[in-house]
Amino acid sequence: MNGLSRFVRSFVPGLLTLLAAACTHTGMQYGDAQASGVAIATQTCSACHGVTGQSVSPLFPQLAGQQKEYLVAQLGDFKAHSRADERGTEYMWGFTRLTPRQIDELADYFSTQTPMHGPSPAPAPDLRGQAIFAQGLPELGVPACSACHGAQGLGQGSFPRLAGQHADYVMQQIRVFQLTDTRPRGAAMKQVTHALSEADTAAVARYIAALSATP
Amino acid sequence: MKPTPLHPPLRVGHGGTWRCICRIGARWGSRIVCVLAALAAMQAAQAVPSFARQTGQSCVACHAGGQFPELTPYGRLFKLTGYTQGERGNPLAGMVVASMTRTRNNSDGAGGGISPFNNQAVLDFGSLFLAGKIGDKLGGFAQFTSVVHDHQDGDGHWQSHFGSDNFDLRYADRKINAEDDLIWGVTLNNNPSVQDVWNSSPAWGYPYLSSSLGAFGAVPVATLIEGGLAQQVAGVGAYVYWNRALYAEWSSYQTAKGLGSLLSLGNQPGDANHPLSSLDGSGQYWRLAYTREWAAHNAMLGAFGLDAKVFPLDANFSTINKLGSTRYQDLGLDAQYQYLLAPHTVTTFVRLVRERISDATGLAYTGAASLHSLKAKGSYVYQARYGVSLAYTRVNGSADAMAYASAANSPNTVMWTPEIFWMPLQSLRIGLQYNRFTRYLGAANNYDGSGRHASDNDTAFLYAWWAF
Repeated sequence: MNGLSRFVRSFVPGLLTLLAAACTHTGMQYGDAQASGVAIATQTCSACHGVTGQSVSPLFPQLAGQQKEYLVAQLGDFKAHSRADERGTEYMWGFTRLTPRQIDELADYFSTQTPMHGPSPAPAPDLRGQAIFAQGLPELGVPACSACHGAQGLGQGSFPRLAGQHADYVMQQIRVFQLTDTRPRGAAMKQVTHALSEADTAAVARYIAALSATP
Repeated sequence: MKPTPLHPPLRVGHGGTWRCICRIGARWGSRIVCVLAALAAMQAAQAVPSFARQTGQSCVACHAGGQFPELTPYGRLFKLTGYTQGERGNPLAGMVVASMTRTRNNSDGAGGGISPFNNQAVLDFGSLFLAGKIGDKLGGFAQFTSVVHDHQDGDGHWQSHFGSDNFDLRYADRKINAEDDLIWGVTLNNNPSVQDVWNSSPAWGYPYLSSSLGAFGAVPVATLIEGGLAQQVAGVGAYVYWNRALYAEWSSYQTAKGLGSLLSLGNQPGDANHPLSSLDGSGQYWRLAYTREWAAHNAMLGAFGLDAKVFPLDANFSTINKLGSTRYQDLGLDAQYQYLLAPHTVTTFVRLVRERISDATGLAYTGAASLHSLKAKGSYVYQARYGVSLAYTRVNGSADAMAYASAANSPNTVMWTPEIFWMPLQSLRIGLQYNRFTRYLGAANNYDGSGRHASDNDTAFLYAWWAF
């Protein structure tokens, strides 16, 4: 038999060895209760959210520098299927086996990354968005975002950081709060957003996305 | 007495199919035999609910706009890391396809029809998948397909056929941190480019389904890499994907017999309907790609190649290995672009393959030959539910009296394929596809010398495709 044939035949024992080795858990993957949060973050979450929590596509929220308490709550809600917005169910409902330790470590990993930021150089701030963010729309009963999310949109505790988040993601979530009841933990946001028009939603989302970008 | 060798039926097709194209004679009789023999050609559809169960994610997470098998960037990573994301579970999945084909002019000029079951609803095929995670670094995708109306026996009864379809077993690892991201892996598979993750590649290129019972479900000629070796070979390869930017791969293929015969299950030497072609030595395949993602966009620019020599088959569909072989040298360039931001999905690709053919046997081509195959496709899907696409296929190459049975002895064919489709469930796709030929084997009009026009081959294909 020729050399290549010999190689292929010798590949089979190698393959069987590989098979035996590969069937064991490596502690690197989601689903393994021993896996660390860092391993899950880099091997799994990074695919959509980026290895440092800075996601490329606006389909997936930035996680970099997000409030730890908020991340723990959202992961718990995805795990329990109590957060049921459409995109969330499509991508995040599989994570039902995260242990409390893993959730804590994941939240720790992302919350301590260099915080999320919009594209640099920052565009000129959307003035309408800025006004809504800082003062709300009192005539419509829309409170200022800054009242809970902070003057710079950095968030606090269970109120998420907004500064630097993808504009499209912010718009999506405002619509989710406005039109659905799929995020019960954020029920307060329904009242906040109910009077926001499409144009105002876009304006405040643009402003938020540009917050904390380097000028 | 040495058997009189027949010109070998050349396997062309794409995505786990093969289509027997007889390149001898121009008679309708042999043509019909060839066409009927080609009924085993089915477009291997690729949608794997066992992956969805493994990851707990919706089909749209991996499949652009829900258009299985088109992959999103996440879907590509899922495959490149060995199908190992998520939790190991039940790897079984299945799918069935039913359809109705209408050939515009189904008369063979002698009182018979060309495409069987024309205008009739039929069950095309069913597939069984064994796919998913085996270990943290090992996973695979094995598809086996049963074609309901594969060929007719001597009494005219339709026989079904079961065999191996797409197969890809891989071991992969990833080293990733804030500075670097390196995925590397090895693959064992049965079709050059089935291991690929871009939908510009031949094994996973559009259309994902086409009429298998219609005689004109695809162009009649294609380069070898466009399915000619599918389920005929077993290959081992290694790849790397660095920083989600640079991909490089090299794979080596041999005839899938002996230990590799699971990969060619259903195809065997001497089988008139499903012969097993043999490679002369090993075939080499390589692939390079550069990718970029920005905002909701992602794009790829790539190149690939295949160099393989195929032995001819005799009248009994067994390999003749004493007369030399036909060498196919394929060089491809491809590009892909996607825009993915719900509710909109836009996916496009273009692929150009240049093939040089050197036939040492003197049985397939009269001399040195060339073949060029260009394919382009664009799709738009709304809410991962309502879609429309348009594809363009053009084949042209050197004329050859031995290879191409038409008045001009030419492979030159141009086909437009518009399609509309609806996915009422993420696992169910219903579509209407139309193949419009503006040129067929060298001419728009009277391409066969008996008055048949390219447009006579126009084919409407209505299908329902359900994965579970």
